[in-house]
Amino acid sequence: MSANEHLVYSTVLAALGLWLMLPPSGHRLRAVGMVVAASGFGWLMARMPGMGDWASDAAFWTLAAATIAAAVAAVVSHNPVYCALWFALSLLGTAGVFAVQGAQFLAAATIVVYAGAIVVTFLFVLMLAQPDGTAFYDRVGWGRVTSLLACACPAVIVGVLAMLLAGELPAHEAAAPTAESLAAGVAHGEHVARLGGTLFTQHLVAVELAGTLLLVALVGAVAITAHERQRGSRSDRSGAAMGKGATR
Amino acid sequence: MNEAALLDNSLILGAILFGIGMVGMIARRNMIVMFLCAEMMLQGVSVSLVAWGRYHNDFGGQMLVIFILTVAACEAGLALALFVVLFQRSGSLDITYWQELREDNQPAYVDRDVPEAEDAAKVTWPHLAPAGIEPPKNPEKELHRSRV
Repeated sequence: MSANEHLVYSTVLAALGLWLMLPPSGHRLRAVGMVVAASGFGWLMARMPGMGDWASDAAFWTLAAATIAAAVAAVVSHNPVYCALWFALSLLGTAGVFAVQGAQFLAAATIVVYAGAIVVTFLFVLMLAQPDGTAFYDRVGWGRVTSLLACACPAVIVGVLAMLLAGELPAHEAAAPTAESLAAGVAHGEHVARLGGTLFTQHLVAVELAGTLLLVALVGAVAITAHERQRGSRSDRSGAAMGKGATR
Repeated sequence: MNEAALLDNSLILGAILFGIGMVGMIARRNMIVMFLCAEMMLQGVSVSLVAWGRYHNDFGGQMLVIFILTVAACEAGLALALFVVLFQRSGSLDITYWQELREDNQPAYVDRDVPEAEDAAKVTWPHLAPAGIEPPKNPEKELHRSRV
């Protein structure tokens, strides 16, 4: 089998497994889908280029497998609270991948900002809006045909990208940075100091703009909810006035 | 693993994350889960950006990811405020409740066969004797009800 055939079959297998796991499948179909998807993603990962020294690569493979498995579970879970928790696990895996690549600050920031703040806010809103857990629309989804199409499109995208990359590997090896140049650049011993230096010199205007954006988003979020609360309390008051009129 | 292999593996990992997020965005109906999946797509892009930044030995990729984090935080705050308001109006997180915003000539999406809940078999409902006059039926309302 040629390399491209491996990629085609593995992405098709992964997409089929995802499709079987998506709603409206029952427990049994989801178990079958889990096996199919695991074999598909495992096959795809085994075809990743540069399979060499297992021991030194173990960190990357473990993190990648955890990230992908948690992402799949987040997409197919019927209960949205589990979706958010699996998404948090997938974020931890992503942070680990950042750390493997030497982006220490981003690894910490992803955990703090995403898993610590954003996912917790999601959970707050979920608990407010849907305290019962699973609703019918989480169980049925859009139906079989739509979810099959939804799995097919990303499978084609991922498969084509992986095929293109497989041909690019020799060119990437030729232009890859050496350990010495990395130690003087991105993977410097004082990584965070270098990162902060770049951020606050070359990208200072962007930092100011990002701060303004955060403030605008804060004011906007308060305005959206406060407007709604005013509307609600006004209707309450008119309701109370009507009730008073009726009793009088 | 050497640098080129690390780059390619990370790019494939990013593509897979992006693809899974895309599946969820299209195939799920819960607004919050759809939004989570959009965040997952952002994560896939971030993994690719960090990998390219390391390959080119440049901090640009990590800078972009820092700004992605900022924008994602703004986005999450605004979207969740919006979801709270939408939930107060419709009583549900289902995105199909907002299909009345569609064009006039588009047909409504209707759930044809809603399966019973997993534990529905355990519930026994009391049997009620029919009484009174049956009200006239509006067939369109029985198929599609936009509000609870």
